[in-house]
Amino acid sequence: MLISASEAGYFQQLARGAVITMELAVSGYILALIGGAVVGLVTLLPNRAIQAVWRVYASIVMGVPSLLVIFLFYYGGGTLLGGIIDITPFEAGLTALVVVYTVYVAELVRGAMRNVPRGQFEATAALAIRPVGAWLHVIMPQVVRLALPGLVNIWMIVLKDTALVSLAGLNDLVSHAKTAAGATKEPFIFFIAAALFFVVFSAVTLRFSARLEARFGRGLAVAKA
Amino acid sequence: MSGTAPLPAIMIAGLDKFYGGFHALKHIDLEVRRGEKIVVCGPSGSGKSTLIRCINRLEPHDSGRIVVNGIDVNDASSNIQDVRREVGMVFQSFNLFPHLTILENCMLAPRLALGMKKAEAERLAQRFLDRVHIGEQAAKFPAQLSGGQQQRVAIARALCMEPRIMLFDEPTSSLDPEMIKEVLEVMEELADDGMTMICVTHEMGFARRVASRCVFMDQGEIVEIAEAAAFFEAPRSDRLRAFLSQILH
Repeated sequence: MLISASEAGYFQQLARGAVITMELAVSGYILALIGGAVVGLVTLLPNRAIQAVWRVYASIVMGVPSLLVIFLFYYGGGTLLGGIIDITPFEAGLTALVVVYTVYVAELVRGAMRNVPRGQFEATAALAIRPVGAWLHVIMPQVVRLALPGLVNIWMIVLKDTALVSLAGLNDLVSHAKTAAGATKEPFIFFIAAALFFVVFSAVTLRFSARLEARFGRGLAVAKA
Repeated sequence: MSGTAPLPAIMIAGLDKFYGGFHALKHIDLEVRRGEKIVVCGPSGSGKSTLIRCINRLEPHDSGRIVVNGIDVNDASSNIQDVRREVGMVFQSFNLFPHLTILENCMLAPRLALGMKKAEAERLAQRFLDRVHIGEQAAKFPAQLSGGQQQRVAIARALCMEPRIMLFDEPTSSLDPEMIKEVLEVMEELADDGMTMICVTHEMGFARRVASRCVFMDQGEIVEIAEAAAFFEAPRSDRLRAFLSQILH
């Protein structure tokens, strides 16, 4: 298929949009990972007030569509900051994705933590291994192993959810695809190109996660082999 | 150390432990001399596991005293740490670290708790793995071993801290019958080497061969303590007689 000069220009824009999409997805995911790990551990503390607040907060955030949270930060964020600074679509999108996916990551971490057998904690204690060492060398590797499939899932969802931020005016891959499709009257070419980008990245993710899972499944993978 | 009055390995006096309203241990008194091998038995729920878990503070007690090699077992975290260096423990469910090899399982505590260098920890681990006759499996992971092998690794792992006292919490209860013997043999070798041991177990053959004294617990109390021969041949209490008749078929 031949591509005209103007279409080539649109593809360049598409590539620039893809970079923004990746920036948003990667930074959002990393921040959600950090936030989720911290929140997950804090909310496991045996404190009833923390538990109660967490249950209410988590069910609200998980119950609201991501798009609404994005709009809330984009249209409401500026007002909240007193109109002093304008919030950009990227900032609003990033904040929204971090707020939402921190909760999902935290829930995952909590579940994984609870699935580490109590005997593992007791064995480290009986061996006079201090809590920090026990966490780093015994508990964390097992939590990561248990949480990894879920974390990979969340990454794919974050990647796809970035598309929603185009509705707040972010010039990401999807928004450029829409512009190009409208201008050239060639919706298939540009939307399929954008879709391919997501498919390729999902495939890359799956390859990468299989290797990670093999690494953290050390000791269990060999047993099955 | 000659000339001084020998310090008991473990001194337990007036120990009480509650789980909510449930009185799990009722005023337990027990003194264990150096080198003694104590077998604790009794029906399930009698408090025998709770008792030995109090000794290394896996369970905090509510009142009374526990002194291990002169160290008071109390809230002070430095004391707890000191006691856990003196006392090794073997669990019913092995509790090996599944993501580490057998050798790494044994190296971890010496590295982290004693600050040992890697090469030195490796030699130490290999020495104790050889001692429980499993040295050739050092590179394998726990899931690749049988239950009996895993439990022997757990014993080696505890020994790598070179404890002066070993606690065994029903070490053969989750093993298939054909694997019980290999674990008991390792425990008997340990006993022959003079280790101070407290074993919660229902292996009465082991108790007869190894125990210096046997302790019978029921409903959170020590009902009877006697030397192995008297314990089995001439139980004084009805409760022990009834228990033995059930367990010895």
